[in-house]
Amino acid sequence: MSASSGPDLSMFNRFSKMFRKGDIIFCEYEPGDTFYLIQSGRVQIVRIIGDLEKNIDILNPTEIFGEMAILEEAPRSATAVALDDVKALEFNRENFEVLMMGNPQIAMKLLKLFIKRIYDQKRRFLILTLDDVEAKVADVFLMLAENQSVDTSTGDSIDFKSSVDDMSHWAGIPPGQCREVLNHFVAQRRIELYPDRIVVKNLNDFARFVNSRRKQKEK
Amino acid sequence: MSPKAVQYRANSIIYFKGDQSERIFLLNSGKVSLSYVDIETGQEVRDMIKMGEFFGVKSALGRYMREETAIVQQDATVMVFSVPEFEQLASKNTRIITKMLKVFSNQLRRIHRQVQNLMVSDEQVNPETGLYKIGEYYLANKRYGQALHAIKRYLVYYPSGTYATDAANKLAQAEEFLSRYGSGVPAGAAAPATASGAAPARAAASAPLPASGGNTSDIAQQYYNAVSLVSQEKYLDAFKAFKKILEGGPDAEYSAKTEFEMAKCLFYLKQYDNCIKSFTAIAQKFPKHPEMKDALFFVGRSYEEKGDKGKAAGLYKKIISMGPEDDPVIRKVRKAMRALEGDKG
Repeated sequence: MSASSGPDLSMFNRFSKMFRKGDIIFCEYEPGDTFYLIQSGRVQIVRIIGDLEKNIDILNPTEIFGEMAILEEAPRSATAVALDDVKALEFNRENFEVLMMGNPQIAMKLLKLFIKRIYDQKRRFLILTLDDVEAKVADVFLMLAENQSVDTSTGDSIDFKSSVDDMSHWAGIPPGQCREVLNHFVAQRRIELYPDRIVVKNLNDFARFVNSRRKQKEK
Repeated sequence: MSPKAVQYRANSIIYFKGDQSERIFLLNSGKVSLSYVDIETGQEVRDMIKMGEFFGVKSALGRYMREETAIVQQDATVMVFSVPEFEQLASKNTRIITKMLKVFSNQLRRIHRQVQNLMVSDEQVNPETGLYKIGEYYLANKRYGQALHAIKRYLVYYPSGTYATDAANKLAQAEEFLSRYGSGVPAGAAAPATASGAAPARAAASAPLPASGGNTSDIAQQYYNAVSLVSQEKYLDAFKAFKKILEGGPDAEYSAKTEFEMAKCLFYLKQYDNCIKSFTAIAQKFPKHPEMKDALFFVGRSYEEKGDKGKAAGLYKKIISMGPEDDPVIRKVRKAMRALEGDKG
């Protein structure tokens, strides 16, 4: 499962870094100018929201993380923790060109990752520009469904492993307000709210609702 | 299979918004425009494709719906690639990818900013507070290794920040807990301490816990020999001598000093990238290094030597902000800053 099955990375060994299990690779909010390609071991991406640690993603060998750093030295948007002993190539703006020239496969991977990020951000933008808070929250469900490649035109009930805090984050509204909206949806029997998940009864109903609000806005 | 040239008549459509296709196009001749709705303004925008420019790349590579309609404005010849054909071409000519990465990174930066602007204000935590809170969180949750790491990072970036005093206290606390209870998960250089609790939680010692290295006086001798090579400007020999010291295993007193001297040698050997890398590693490993300002100064000078004046100036500013005014290092940095600014004009 290591990089041996992927492209030959031996020429990049000088960029190789080891992290012990449990090590923080970088912290959310610290300035970053490096990004990483995992060679072995797994990396967990987390965010601390309030007093909860929230898992964002678990990354495997050959995956890239921290790539936003080569765009600008913005603070890291999440914390990366070594879930196993991790070996990773560390790149920065200086050795980035070398990487590109020496390994087109990684460059292509990065290109696709950027494309995905652009789409993800655009999708978020669409949520945030809805005027109606209920439509925002409903649209977050649609976005989450799309990310899981769930057909949003289905009338089936679907489980989301999301909390109120997650929903409020994506909808860009305060948690209290998000809870109100969700409670309202519960009262309307459109969703069921559990501590560890939210069940949407009819996704298509939300899709129609969001579309009508978006059309109203266009007029 | 190879890419083929296709002729399009004026006013024909190459693809529609909403189409899904894995074709990528390259404009050879003629005129093609892309029409799309700007998500911010809601206005219809029309961009002309330049000759030799690819289009339809994002939707094809990302397998998304086309976001724009490609309209032929003047009879055009277009090369049509499948995704594998495009990837093959790009792997032979990485400049294609580099160029696209630049374009996409600009787009990403723009949309990222647009999204950030729409976020409610309480989502936007000040990075300094945010970083400090992470250390606090891990400490409160008894994850001392991670707490130690996060607090150290805080002190690297904000040595005289709002929470610096609290952070220093918390750092000592984390170190003490770590040595008393271990970390559950091993963290970095700090070896889980034995039950004896003998490892002292020295506030100043963010260096690795003392390991039984070689004979101490031997190391001292080696170290001073190497330092004397530095003063003779024999930087390569000095570097090798220092490296030997490190190979002898960690030493509470000399490891940090040795690494510092090695990074310095790299600067004089004009190995600026390595110098930056080494000092950055030192700053992370020994955030309370007494010569931190010197370290940052070498990093700044390395950037300056590399022609990255922006970064150099940023570092100089940071060092100056660390004060105090009358520190000889600060005076040197000020001078360098003035020289740098003089250069610009």
